[in-house]
Amino acid sequence: MEEALLRAVLFGTPLLLAGLGALLSERGGVVNLGVEGMMALSALVAFAVGLKVHPALGVLAGMGVGALLGLFLGVFAVSLRANQFVAGLALAALGLGASGLLGKRYEGVPLPNPLPEGILAALALALAFGLHLLFSRSRFGLYLRSVGENPKAADLFGVSVDGVRYLALALGGGMIGLAGAYLSLAYRPSWTDGMTAGLGWVAIALVILAAWQPLRAIFGAYLFGLLFFLQFRLQGSVPIPSEAFAAMPYLLVILVLALSGRARAPKALGQPFDRGR
Amino acid sequence: MRRILGFLLLALGLAWAQGDKLKACFIYVGPIGDAGWTYAHDVGRKKAEAALPWLETRYVESVPEAQALPVIDRFVREGCQVIFATSFGYMEAVLEGAKKYPNVIFAHATGIKRAPNVATYMADFYQVYYLNGLAAGALSKTGKVGYVAAFPIPEVKRHINAFTLGVRAVNPKAQVLVRWINAWYDPAKAREATEALLAQGADVFAFTEDTPTVIQTAAKKGAYSFGHYTPMLKFAPDHVVSGQIVHWDVIYMDFLKKVKEGVYTPKNLEKVDYFWLLEHKAVEMGADYGVPINPKHVPLLQKAQMTVGGRKVSVHDRIMALLKDMQSPKPTFDPFTGPIQDRKGVLRIPAGKKATLEELLTMEWAAPGVVGDWPGEPK
Amino acid sequence: MRWELDPSPSPRKVLLTYALFLSLALLGLGLLFLLYGVPPLKAYALLLSPLTDTLGLAEVMRRTIPLLLIGAGLALAFRIGFFNIGAEGQLLMGAVGAAYVALFVPPGLWSLPLMFLFGGSLGALWAGLAAWLRARFGVNEILTTLMQNYLVYYLVVYLVAGPWKGQMVFGFLYTDRFPPEAQLPRLGDTLVHWPTLVLGMVAAMGLQVLLFRTPLGFEWRVLGENPEAARYLGLKGGRLILLAALLSGFLAGLAGVGEVAGIHLRLLEPAQISLGYGFTAILAAWLARGRPLGVLLTAPLLGLILAGGDALKLALSMPFRVVDVAAGLLLLSFIGAEALSRRRPVWRR
Repeated sequence: MEEALLRAVLFGTPLLLAGLGALLSERGGVVNLGVEGMMALSALVAFAVGLKVHPALGVLAGMGVGALLGLFLGVFAVSLRANQFVAGLALAALGLGASGLLGKRYEGVPLPNPLPEGILAALALALAFGLHLLFSRSRFGLYLRSVGENPKAADLFGVSVDGVRYLALALGGGMIGLAGAYLSLAYRPSWTDGMTAGLGWVAIALVILAAWQPLRAIFGAYLFGLLFFLQFRLQGSVPIPSEAFAAMPYLLVILVLALSGRARAPKALGQPFDRGR
Repeated sequence: MRRILGFLLLALGLAWAQGDKLKACFIYVGPIGDAGWTYAHDVGRKKAEAALPWLETRYVESVPEAQALPVIDRFVREGCQVIFATSFGYMEAVLEGAKKYPNVIFAHATGIKRAPNVATYMADFYQVYYLNGLAAGALSKTGKVGYVAAFPIPEVKRHINAFTLGVRAVNPKAQVLVRWINAWYDPAKAREATEALLAQGADVFAFTEDTPTVIQTAAKKGAYSFGHYTPMLKFAPDHVVSGQIVHWDVIYMDFLKKVKEGVYTPKNLEKVDYFWLLEHKAVEMGADYGVPINPKHVPLLQKAQMTVGGRKVSVHDRIMALLKDMQSPKPTFDPFTGPIQDRKGVLRIPAGKKATLEELLTMEWAAPGVVGDWPGEPK
Repeated sequence: MRWELDPSPSPRKVLLTYALFLSLALLGLGLLFLLYGVPPLKAYALLLSPLTDTLGLAEVMRRTIPLLLIGAGLALAFRIGFFNIGAEGQLLMGAVGAAYVALFVPPGLWSLPLMFLFGGSLGALWAGLAAWLRARFGVNEILTTLMQNYLVYYLVVYLVAGPWKGQMVFGFLYTDRFPPEAQLPRLGDTLVHWPTLVLGMVAAMGLQVLLFRTPLGFEWRVLGENPEAARYLGLKGGRLILLAALLSGFLAGLAGVGEVAGIHLRLLEPAQISLGYGFTAILAAWLARGRPLGVLLTAPLLGLILAGGDALKLALSMPFRVVDVAAGLLLLSFIGAEALSRRRPVWRR
């Protein structure tokens, strides 16, 4: 049982980090479907720096790359007011592709001094609480929510809609980058092409499961981590096909959401802001 | 003038030599990752190209099954004379392509259907898995050995069975706990499956997945493991005991040399099937090249005892003796020698008989000692 | 300086913007090729090479078929605000339905129509489930459809590894080959299963008519453009969304039928059935900007990018990720150009 809880936290941590990153920008009204690609590229850069310099610096580098990619998405999603969904999907392909092309030489190299997972897991937890406070207590949180709910009103009150959204994308990108760094420096301390293996997409689902609340994201991420672990823990001990266990986490996520009632997305989510309209 | 003529001749000669190169092209099913199946084939390709000056190679990675035929079309058009298709799933495409291009030579890895211009080849690990199983049986204190498995296909089942037979030969009460991850490549699933097995008491690990994840995870908890496909010692120098290493280059070079010498032509491959094992040096037992057993674990295995024909011998000596035997030109030992029952008690290989090649290639049953779900298990 | 909407951009401006962004993308790609030691011009030529011969055109067409079917349905679904990103799963459901008919219903002339009907229906059911969950419980369809993709994935693995595993497959994860009556005819010796292509073109045109020439289409468009107004007019939003979801799921299901009955001729490991068409079609639908007919243009365009990327990795032995990079950069340039061409700079605050 203890083991299962530990796995829930350690597998849930990258989901939580990436989920928080996506959640942050979504609260400001910008959908980020590029998570998978952002994680992939940050995981690579974090690993490269971690290998050549120091893992702690690798974490920073991963976060930096994530933040830069967040800003890059901002160019399209905020400044150009392009379709956020499609820009995100394109970024996902680009990030995955670029990491695969640039990372060849780091494949098959073990990381001699991996980071302890526990520290990063604690950091993720702290970030969730931090975001909760940021949203509810800080001026920036107020701006962010107003930009996500009613950008027109926020603009009238003198809030720079674009500025807040860029900041949210950069901060969120940093968290997504941290998730990538966790994967390549701690969770599985080496790098391979495609090592994010779809976690980025689950993180996007997590935002919805969490109803855009950072504290609920903790619950969602750990729940998914628990179910993901249990599919292997229970496999073989009950006469049920292994495929049914494998499908279980995804089925239960739908059920949980159906039972937990309607979650309201930020009103302006996915809509580019136009002052003139 | 003479000098110019000399140059001309030289240039002509060079051009001739260029044109005379044999062009072999490889279709890979996955990306050339860090440790797995496709990586190993690519190592084989590179070694062959380095060793054979008259050889020119090309490859294309991550080709889905449905894509194989168009890729063959393109390769033929670009002048490929030999095409290696490195996945079972390419079978239909290879046979169709072979009909379309009767003058091109095809070789299909893990395949079972041949044609006048289609040969099949495989470097198989089942003997090595048996030997690794012996070591695993000796090293496990809990009597529970973990196996993280990709997909329930005959190749993987054969390997798990051979491994389990080895484990049971040392410790007749031991269990091999199998967990399917339904993916050839998925570090996250491999990690959590290993964690689940660790939580259930497994303390030695083998696997079929294309990354060293199982090894890294097991080592964190001090559990032993066996590398798969490529040398993985460097990922956990204190915990990788041995493993399975492939040498596709041995098969590639043999095949290509015979094509070059005219032994193999597009008309006579109907019977050419490589199912190469330890004796052909197409596979190797080891934690790293030339390291059959990690020296750190040799004393442990020397101390461990097992009964062979009523006589006590050290597991280490048994492994080395069998390895030597199976590496010799005329091996006398084979892990799949009857009588072998499956875990349901059905006799699968009668006493005194060895499993035939066909039985090996289509193995569906589970050996006694295998614990866990087993899709497609015969009734 | 700010950018404001330009309601009627001149064609010249649109053209210039696209040219600018396209050259930016090509420049980025070119740099990448240089880094890899490949002459950029040669690489560009390869990217377009599928257009120059029949083999390449067949490859483009083969990819166009599922993109067309799924894209047309998604163009409709997105337009009315149903974000179906589970087309990949609906496609797999279609494949399952087709395989069921092919393997367990006595073969005959009825085989293929029945496969399309049953496969399409399973796809529709799968998408409809997401729409129902949204209407009944308020569950966000992005999450549902995404999770459903994983569910079908394991369903297919279960079927091919267990009950449906073939007798003639040597223990591998396949069903037996479909009987000849359950195989789609192809164009010559290419892999272009033309009946599915025809279905795709009919679907794109049919949806266009439905959307712009019928009362139902009018209600859909109102709902998509202004949900408030739709409520005011008394439109039944839940039912309209369900209908669109069913249609887009049905078409994705048809695409799945086409893939297994036209190319694989059996059910197999799910990752091999589709080449990510469910996701690529999202882009085809978006590029068509909510007009099902537009997919007739955008699906082949994406088919070309995919086939061109494949030609590139094959001819130059480049890593397969080059396809992703090329697709990502080109798409971003389209997106950027599309957005910027509809704007004009204003030099005051």
